[in-house]
Amino acid sequence: MKPINHLSRRDLLGRLGGGIAGMAFADLLGQEGLLAQTPSDPINPLAPRQQHFPAKAKAVISIFCYGGVSQVDTFDHKPMLLKRQGEAMTGVGEIMPFMGTPGGLMPSPWQFRKHGQSGIEISDLFPHVAGHADDLAVIRSMTALSPAHGPAIFQMSTGSILPGHPSVGSWVTYGLGSENQNLPGFIVFTDYRGGPINGAPNWGNGYMPAAFQGTPFRDSGDPIVDLHPPKGRTPEQQQKWLRLLRELNEKHREQNPEDTELSARIHSYELAFRMQTHASDAIDISRESEATQRLYGVGEKPTDYFARQAIMARRLVERGVRYVQIFSGGGNFDPSWDAHWDLKGNHGLHCTEIDKPIAGLIKDLKSRGLFDSTIILWHGEFGRMPISERMDGRDHNAHGFSVWLAGGGIKGGTVVGATDDFGYRAVENKKSIYELHATILHLLGLDYDRLTYRFNGRNMRLTDVHGRVIKEVLA
Amino acid sequence: MKRMLFLLWLSALLAVGIIGTDSGTAGAAGAQTDLSRQAFVILEKNCFSCHGQARTSELDLRSGEAVLKGGINGKVVIPGNPGASRLILFVTHQEKPVMPPTGRLSETEVDTLRKWIAAGAPFDGFAPVGDGKEEPPLAIKPFSSVEQGYWAFQSPRRVDPPPVGDQSWSGNPVDRFLYASMAARGIKPSAPADRRTLIRRATLDVTGLLPTPQEVEAFVSDRRPDAWERLVDRLLASPHYGERWARHWLDVVRYADSGGFEFDIDRPEGWRYRDYVVKAMNDDKPYDQFVREQLAGDEYAPDTSDAMIATGFLRLGPDGEDRGERARQDALDDVITTTSLTFMGMTVGCARCHDHKFDPIRQADFYRIQAVFSPAQPLDYPVVPPAVVTAHKAEVARLDGLLKPLKSTRRELEAPYVKILIEEQVAGLPEYMQIAWRTPEAERTAGQKLTVQQIRKVLEIDRQAHRFSEKEMIGRMSATDKQRHEELTAQIKDLESKKPKPFATTRAISEKSRVASPTWFLHRGNVESRGPAMDPGTLSVLGDFKFPEPPANATSTWRRRGLAEWLTRRDNPLTARVMVNRIWQHHFGEGIVRTPSNFGKLGEPPSHPELLDWLALEFIDRGWSIKQMHRLLLTSQAYRMRSDDVAASVEIDPENRLFWRMPRVRLEAEVIRDLILDAAGNLNRSVGGPCVYPYIDPKLFQSSTKRTWPGVPDDDPSTWRRSLYVYSKRSIRYPLFETFDQPNLINSCERRNRSTIAPQALLMMNNNFIIFEAGKFAERLKAEAGDNAVAQVELAFRLALGRGPTQFERERATGFIQTTTNGLAEFCQLIFNLNEFLYRQ
Repeated sequence: MKPINHLSRRDLLGRLGGGIAGMAFADLLGQEGLLAQTPSDPINPLAPRQQHFPAKAKAVISIFCYGGVSQVDTFDHKPMLLKRQGEAMTGVGEIMPFMGTPGGLMPSPWQFRKHGQSGIEISDLFPHVAGHADDLAVIRSMTALSPAHGPAIFQMSTGSILPGHPSVGSWVTYGLGSENQNLPGFIVFTDYRGGPINGAPNWGNGYMPAAFQGTPFRDSGDPIVDLHPPKGRTPEQQQKWLRLLRELNEKHREQNPEDTELSARIHSYELAFRMQTHASDAIDISRESEATQRLYGVGEKPTDYFARQAIMARRLVERGVRYVQIFSGGGNFDPSWDAHWDLKGNHGLHCTEIDKPIAGLIKDLKSRGLFDSTIILWHGEFGRMPISERMDGRDHNAHGFSVWLAGGGIKGGTVVGATDDFGYRAVENKKSIYELHATILHLLGLDYDRLTYRFNGRNMRLTDVHGRVIKEVLA
Repeated sequence: MKRMLFLLWLSALLAVGIIGTDSGTAGAAGAQTDLSRQAFVILEKNCFSCHGQARTSELDLRSGEAVLKGGINGKVVIPGNPGASRLILFVTHQEKPVMPPTGRLSETEVDTLRKWIAAGAPFDGFAPVGDGKEEPPLAIKPFSSVEQGYWAFQSPRRVDPPPVGDQSWSGNPVDRFLYASMAARGIKPSAPADRRTLIRRATLDVTGLLPTPQEVEAFVSDRRPDAWERLVDRLLASPHYGERWARHWLDVVRYADSGGFEFDIDRPEGWRYRDYVVKAMNDDKPYDQFVREQLAGDEYAPDTSDAMIATGFLRLGPDGEDRGERARQDALDDVITTTSLTFMGMTVGCARCHDHKFDPIRQADFYRIQAVFSPAQPLDYPVVPPAVVTAHKAEVARLDGLLKPLKSTRRELEAPYVKILIEEQVAGLPEYMQIAWRTPEAERTAGQKLTVQQIRKVLEIDRQAHRFSEKEMIGRMSATDKQRHEELTAQIKDLESKKPKPFATTRAISEKSRVASPTWFLHRGNVESRGPAMDPGTLSVLGDFKFPEPPANATSTWRRRGLAEWLTRRDNPLTARVMVNRIWQHHFGEGIVRTPSNFGKLGEPPSHPELLDWLALEFIDRGWSIKQMHRLLLTSQAYRMRSDDVAASVEIDPENRLFWRMPRVRLEAEVIRDLILDAAGNLNRSVGGPCVYPYIDPKLFQSSTKRTWPGVPDDDPSTWRRSLYVYSKRSIRYPLFETFDQPNLINSCERRNRSTIAPQALLMMNNNFIIFEAGKFAERLKAEAGDNAVAQVELAFRLALGRGPTQFERERATGFIQTTTNGLAEFCQLIFNLNEFLYRQ
C-alpha cells in the first residue's frame, strides 16, 4: 500500500467512511464508540477488515418476503383461530387494521405439524423447509415500528423507518469489507415481478460512500448493468483501449507521484476489467450439476426463478461476497406477499416458489461446508392479522410476527418468544428489528455498539441508540 | 382499480391512528368517579391539544364548566343523552368535522365516552386545571462560561490582515492571512498555475462547464494587466454560474423532485424552487434576503411568487407515509435538522430527545425552534394567474353539478343487479360467513356483525374489482336497462372528460392564523410525554431574542419571520460565517471549517479563524453579496496556485490545511455528465424549466405503483440538457449520479463523498450514454478537424482539456485511432476516462 500522507483526513472520511475519521475525532474528545479496527485501504475500501471479535459467520443471505408474510399461516400455529372462527377478536388491546373494516377471526387454510427433534410447528406451506426445522431459530415475537409498507421496509432494510440510512448490507461491508475484490461486496436480487417499493434506497448506502451500496444483479444476461462493452467491441479491443488509457493516465500522474487517489482510479479500471469475467462466472449456474439444480427446483415451474437466484446466492457467498439480499415478491398487492385478499392463492403461490429452493440452499451449503459460515435470514417487513380482511385476506400487522435464522453461529431447533392466543401481538420475550440487526452484526463478529459512522455531527449506528443481541438464537 | 386501492389505502391511513398507543383506558366501568376519570383521560389524550388551553372554536374540554358551556357552535355534551351529544357524533364520524382531525378513537374509548355521558357526565374525576401556567417550569441547565465562550458563538471580530513582505501576496487580504499562516510554519505558497490550468479551473468552478478553445487561447494571449479580473467577471456574469452554484445549495437543502417512500409521489412543479435558486444566484440576490424568503417568504411577501416558491424549502424533505403525532414530529425534526445545518451550521436535531451531548443546545431549544415551525401549513401554491384558478374551480363545480344526478340515477339502475351478484358471491364464502350473512341483523353476534360489515364493504360499497365485475353485472341487465346504462355511462364519461386539467401548483407554506396552537416540550422526544407548552425561540446560548408581534390583520404568527430576522442580524455569529465557508469550500476544495454544516464541537475548528471572521464581516458589509465574495476569492493569488506536489510542503502540511496549494478535486457526478455533453458538442445550454428524463435501464427501477421513469433514449435531444435538469426521483437514481457520489437526496449534504470504485470505471467503459456521446464527440472532430487523425487528436485535447497534446500523447493517440476499429470514437471515449478530464486541478 502506498503512503497515504498526501490524502487529507477529510478525503479519508469521504472515501473510506467517517467511522475512521470519526475515530480521530473521538480520540480528540476522549469519547466512547471507537471502531476497534484498523483503517481500511484507501485504494480499496472493500478490502477485508478485522472483526471486532472472532465469529463463525462470514456472509449473509437475506431472503426478504416483501409485502408481509402471515405468521399464523406459516410459523406461528394458533388453534384458537379455528376454534373461534368468525368471532370478534377480543382481549388483545386495541385492534388497528391498516385498511379498516376488520372482520372476525379467520382460521388458517393450512395444517400445522411438528417437525424434527425440536418439534417446531410449521405449516404445510413450507414442507421442504420444515425438513430443516432443527436448523432454524424461529423468532415468533418480532415487532416492527410501522404497519405501512414504505416505512416498515426501510426499517427492515436500514434500521430506520425514515429513508436516508445505509442498509444492513452496507453496514456489514463497511464493517468487514469483502473477501473477493473482483465482485461487489453486497449484491441484491429482485423478484421477476418487479422490485420492492421504496426502490434502490432499500439497498442504498445512505450517507456512506458509494463503495458500500448494494449492487442489483440481473438474473440473466449481464448480471450488472454496464458490465460488458456493447456488441462489436472485442475483449482484445477493450484491452488495447485500457492499455492506452493506463499509459496516458500514468503520464499525467508523473507530476503527482504522491497522489494515491489518481493511482486508485487507474487501479479501478483493472478491477472493473476483472469484474467483467468474475461477475458473469458467478451467476453462471449452467456450471452446476443437474443434481444440484434439481435440489433447488431449477426447471420446475413455480420454483425455477427463485431457485436460480438461490444457487447464484450460494455461488456468490462461495466466492467471498459478504451480503446477498434476495427479494421474493415485487410490485404491489398480488405480485408480492401482501395478501389483502385471497390469502390462499397468494401465500400458496409465494411459499411454493421459495420453499424447495430454500431447503435446497440449506442442504447445498451444508454439503459444501459453507452452512457454518453463512447466515440465512428469512423475514418480511411485518406480519399479518389473525382476522379477515375483504373476506378472505389478511391485513398488515406490525405487533407480532415470525422471522427465522439459520446457519453460522445459530442454535438450530430454537423458538424464541410468543404471540397472544390469536397470533396478533407479541406478548412473550418481545423482540425488535434493532435486536435482529444487532444479532446479525454480532454473528459476523461486529459489535453493533462500536460500529459507527460519523455523519452530520453524529456517530450513526445501524441500531441507533437501541439494540441488544438476541442471545437465545446463539449456538 | 389501482387508483381506488391507493385512495382506500390513504383513507385507511387517515382514519386509523397508525401509531399504536395501547389504550390504557379500557376496563370495566367502576364507580362514577372512575368513569369520569376515564373520560378525562381520553379527552386529555385526544382533544386537549386543540380544545384545552388553545380553545380552538372556543371549546375547552378541560373542566366541567367549560365542557357544559360548549364552543362557538354550541353545546357538545348533553348529560344523559349520548345520542344527541355532538361530541359523540364527531368522534364516531357521524358528523363533520370528524374528531380528532387525524386518527380515530378506539371503540372502547368511544364506548367509555358514551357511558360517561349516559351517566350524566359527572366531572368529579376531572383533574383541576387552570390556564396551563401552573406547569412546572423546565429546569434548563445554565450555560457554563466555557459553553458561552465557544468560538462559533462569539461575534466575528475584525482583525486587520497581517502585513506581508512578498509583493504578489500583499494585494488581496485573503492572501495576506494565508501567507502569514504559511510563513509561521515555514511553508511557501505554491507557484502560480499556468493560464490554461487557470481558465479551466475557474470555468469549472464558476460555471461547471468547459472553456472553449477560443476562450482558452484568448485568455492565454491576453496581455492586459487585468486579464484575470476580466475573466472572473465574465464567468460570474454567465447564466451558467447560477446553475453551477444552485447545485451546491440543492445538496445542502436535500432537494428532490419526488416524495420518497412507497409511492414516491412526483412533485412535477418542484423545479420552480430549483429555478428560484438558479435565479437568486444569477441575480446575486443578497444572502440575507435569500434566507428570509426560504424561511418565511409568505410572511414577508405573500404576493410575490418568488417569495412563495422559496418557502418550498420547508417542504423539500421526503413525505412520510406514516400518520399521527410521531410522524408529525419526525417531519418537524427533518425541517429543524435541515434548517439548522443549512443556516446555522448547528446540529440542533441532536437535541430532540436530550440536551445536545457536545454543544450548548438544550433540548428546550429544539422545542422552542419547533414552536417556530409548528404553525406552518402546506400550501399548494398555484403557479398560474388567479383568474385561471377561479375559472377552473367554477367549471369543475358546474360539471360536478351536472354529474351528480346522472351518477345517482345510474346507481339506482344498477341496484337490483348488484344484489343478485352479491348473493352469488356470498354463496361461495365459508359457511360461517354465510351464516353470519343470513342471520337477522338483531341476532348477529359481534363477530357476525364484523363479517357482514366486511362483505357489505367489499361487495356493495367498494365493489372491489377482484370480487365484483362491472362487466358481468351489465351482462345480466335487461335490454332496456342495458341501453339506459350505456347512455348514462356515456354521458358521465363525456362530462368527466370535459373537466379541465388541474392547474399547476408548487409546494409552498402558509399559515392560517396569527395565533399559534400550542406546542409542547416532549420528554425524551416521546409524543406520549408532554411537558410544558413552548414559546418560540432560537439558540438560547446566544441570549434572548424577542420575536416580532404580527400586526393585527396578519394571518400568520410571524414566528418564521422572527427566526429569519434573528438569523440575518448583523450580530448573529453563525449565518455569515457558515455561508462564506461554503463559498470558500467550493473554490478551495475544503472549507476553512472542514465540516461546513457543523460548526459545533464535533465539527472541526477553523484552520484560519481570523480569516473566517474577516470574510464573514466583509460578506455582511458588502450587502451579503455572494458574487462579490466569489470575486474576492477568485482574484486572490491563493486561488491561482498550482496543484502539484511540493515535497517540502507535503512534508510539513500533508493535508493542505494551510492552503499552500490548490487541491486537485474529482469533479461531481453532474459535472462529469455536463462536460461529456459539452465536449461532444451537443449540450443544450438553455437555462431553467421542467426536468428531463435520460434513459435508465428498466431493471433498475422495475416495480409497479407510481414508480416509473419515462426515460428516453440517449439519442433523444430532449435529454441533452445540463444534469441540474435531470429529474431527481428519490427511489430511482440516475446511475451515473449515484455511482459518482451524488448525495442521497434525503439528508442534507455539506460535502460530497469522493469515492473511487470499480463500478465507476465499468460505467465509464460500457454505459450507453458514454458511448453515444463518444460517438457524437467523434462526429464533431470529423466535422471540425477533417479526416486527419493528427488534427483530430489536437482538437480533441483542446476541446476536452484546454491544451494541445504532448508529443507522446499525439503519437499514441493517432496510432490508436489508425489501428483500431471505430478508432476515433473509441479514442473519444478514452478522453472522457482520463484523470485529467475527471479532475479539476
